[in-house]
Amino acid sequence: MMRTIEIFLVIMIMTGAFIIASLFAVLPSPRQVSPLNLRRLALTTLQTLDVNHDLSQTTFKPTDDPAWGELQIVLSACLPPNIVYNLTVYEVSNNDGTLYTLKKSISNAKSIGIESDAASYLVASSNVTFSVTPEKVGERGGGGTLYILNCSNANGWWITGYTSQSLAEDLYNLLSPYFQKTIMIQNTVQLAQILNGTSIQDETLQNAVVINTFGEAVPIPAGYYSSSTVGYDTAHNSYARYCHTLGKRVLQYNWTWASIVGYPLYYVCNTGLFPNEQNNWGVYGMKMVDAAGLNAFLRGLDNQTYSYDNNWITAQLPEVVYLSNQARYYCNYYGVYPSPYQTATRALPTSITTTYHLNVTTYIFNQVGNYNPGAVYRHVVTENGTRKFKGSLLALGLTRSPDIRLTALGILCDYKPRLYRSEYTATGTSRLVVLQLGQAGGI
Amino acid sequence: MTGATIDHLISVTVFLAAILLFISLFNQTIQTAVLYQRHRVLATKCSDVLDNVLLNPGYPLEWGKTNSTLAAFGLQDPEFTQYRLSPFSLMRLQSSTGTPVYFGPTGLYYNNITMGFGDFLLVPYTLAINYSSASKLLGTNNTHGFQLTITPTIMVSITETQAENPLILNVKVFGIGFPLPNATVSYCFLKVGEKQGQSHPYYTSFFGRTFTNDAGSAFLTVQDIASEDSYALIVYAHMSGLVGIGYHQRVSGVKRYVIPFVDSFEDRRVLLAHSYDVHNQGPPESAVFYNATFVLLTEDFTLREMPMENSTGKLGKIVYGHGAEKTYHNLTIPTYNPGILVITYQSNSEDGVVLMPWGLGSMAFPVTFGESPDGKEWVATDARQVLVNGIAYQAKLSLWSLEGYPVVG
Repeated sequence: MMRTIEIFLVIMIMTGAFIIASLFAVLPSPRQVSPLNLRRLALTTLQTLDVNHDLSQTTFKPTDDPAWGELQIVLSACLPPNIVYNLTVYEVSNNDGTLYTLKKSISNAKSIGIESDAASYLVASSNVTFSVTPEKVGERGGGGTLYILNCSNANGWWITGYTSQSLAEDLYNLLSPYFQKTIMIQNTVQLAQILNGTSIQDETLQNAVVINTFGEAVPIPAGYYSSSTVGYDTAHNSYARYCHTLGKRVLQYNWTWASIVGYPLYYVCNTGLFPNEQNNWGVYGMKMVDAAGLNAFLRGLDNQTYSYDNNWITAQLPEVVYLSNQARYYCNYYGVYPSPYQTATRALPTSITTTYHLNVTTYIFNQVGNYNPGAVYRHVVTENGTRKFKGSLLALGLTRSPDIRLTALGILCDYKPRLYRSEYTATGTSRLVVLQLGQAGGI
Repeated sequence: MTGATIDHLISVTVFLAAILLFISLFNQTIQTAVLYQRHRVLATKCSDVLDNVLLNPGYPLEWGKTNSTLAAFGLQDPEFTQYRLSPFSLMRLQSSTGTPVYFGPTGLYYNNITMGFGDFLLVPYTLAINYSSASKLLGTNNTHGFQLTITPTIMVSITETQAENPLILNVKVFGIGFPLPNATVSYCFLKVGEKQGQSHPYYTSFFGRTFTNDAGSAFLTVQDIASEDSYALIVYAHMSGLVGIGYHQRVSGVKRYVIPFVDSFEDRRVLLAHSYDVHNQGPPESAVFYNATFVLLTEDFTLREMPMENSTGKLGKIVYGHGAEKTYHNLTIPTYNPGILVITYQSNSEDGVVLMPWGLGSMAFPVTFGESPDGKEWVATDARQVLVNGIAYQAKLSLWSLEGYPVVG
């Protein structure tokens, strides 16, 4: 009998052990076993809200600003309905020994729930972020005006995939910080105005840079269209004379004329003047000048008299061409990173430097044989016994579509405006945003 | 002596029975703990796989813009870091929800993410990445099953409240069950004009901007629209970093229309087919004339039309049947910038407009990729907020084990 009693005692001990083990070995709820990764969800939510710096801007606004209400709305709109949140913004400073000072907290529930997780995100004020101030072209010496052709009454060619207007906008964003004044030439009337020597917004006309965003075409104003002295070559039924005039103006005002792609000045364009003319490829408002346009321009730039010469001078290079070392260096300096190799089908011959008294001041691409796929040519003149540059051509003889960053890079390489970098050490310029998420309902 | 033997027998029997019972009880507890541990591992695996898919562009890096086969699977946009997905890689995912479409003239089946009449995304199966390939590349083949759903965070619905003179459209913008008041709404309205006879339709377009009211609605009024006029409205709504897209069309011709098929990502080529050729709806029908354009979403939250050159094939005539004329036309999209291909059409005094996204986010199309989790015993899920071409999406992954862990507890 004693053994049976002992066994029952053993059973009681084992039962006790099982109960105690079960009490300690508490199995987690399914939500704890297979949780939603709330930390990642919170982080990606903050990143999404800050994609256009909206979150950064809101966190620096006064606490009663309506932007906080909008932030609460978008948080509620983008999180699943069973997720509760608490977003807290702290100012980061070391005043009075406190690193984080509470600025604002918004939430959609009184309690964040049993299980929650949080992600933090540091934002900086847009006013005091590390800044770079570029030197303006023309600060030392004259000039400093950038003209970008943005004529609404003209169509471009070989700018496939873009419009001249979109290219002009991109160029404005890229280059306007480096110039004293940037002027978008909105139509051919304004183009005529600067060609005739009249400024548009009291800018300095002399020593300006003119970028033609119309690719192989160039807008022609009405006054030049009808004039046989400055626009139209009646004998050859050609607008090469207009290109010659352009070359003379570039020389006269010491401009830098930039051709962004293809064969420069191959067409003239004006939708009002050529409503029924097309470029043989279905784009109306355009008339072909052919190779005579560039030859006439170079003659004008060299102050030679006009003569009609329709000889094709560019070459199609068999291999891809590569950015020069100088261009690669300035890619890093200015933070402009186009593809380092391109296809050149309209490379200019080196012979033009002797024929038209040009000097290559910047190689954008490495020279290939006797051809330059992309370079800045400055015209050499001798005045009062002194040799100097007057009038320039930036020609990118690449195939379409244009990469407008190459034009910007070429200009920056040639003018070399300096960048003054400044760091900030001001306090109260960073804020820490903590988004805590919890799950409501369910188990 | 007999009593001691009986006592011994009873005690041994009870002891053995108790031992067996307790082994079973302890074993059950241990088994349950092991299962929970496996489920926890599954949840961790789910989070890892989701990050692996979303934070890795795959290989080749720009596979979404090519017709190449994949060596590594990932959906991140190679031009960005963080959770930004390539709109073109997403286009190449084989949807597990749409019914495949067969197009006779090419002899191919097409993956179908159509969102109703006139909103097509049809990609050939030969270019689409299927679930089996992705599973092998992710290393989950035969061990785990998954379903990836990518859905837009912001919904934009458009309804007509008045059909003509003026046309009044109600644009509702809401998040996940929450309206967005005071959201900025940029829109592009495109009206189809029909020329008489056998010619291409023309269209007029205008752009504008407005704001939603407290209920998240904005009303757009368009003058000079008759009830039989065809039009398309594309809307871009944004607020504090969240961006959504909506679209709406009204057409007068739903019998003969144009259906766009993606033909080559690498060459940006789209096939434009006659609807009768796709649906095989009987005897030859009238030709369809079309006129296409492309609308871009710009960085300043506006829509902009990008004119297409004639050489892209923006104008054309498609015949139904197998005569001397081609049964479909090629159209080349001029850019890899995501946008919306808008194709206006006319046939026998009927006209209309169809849309196709170039880049999945352009029309906020959702995509569901992988097996259905229905009926699986234990499914771990995880979610992330992602951006596709600046449009806010939620990516959700459901993952389960193919080794069959039962659910306990």
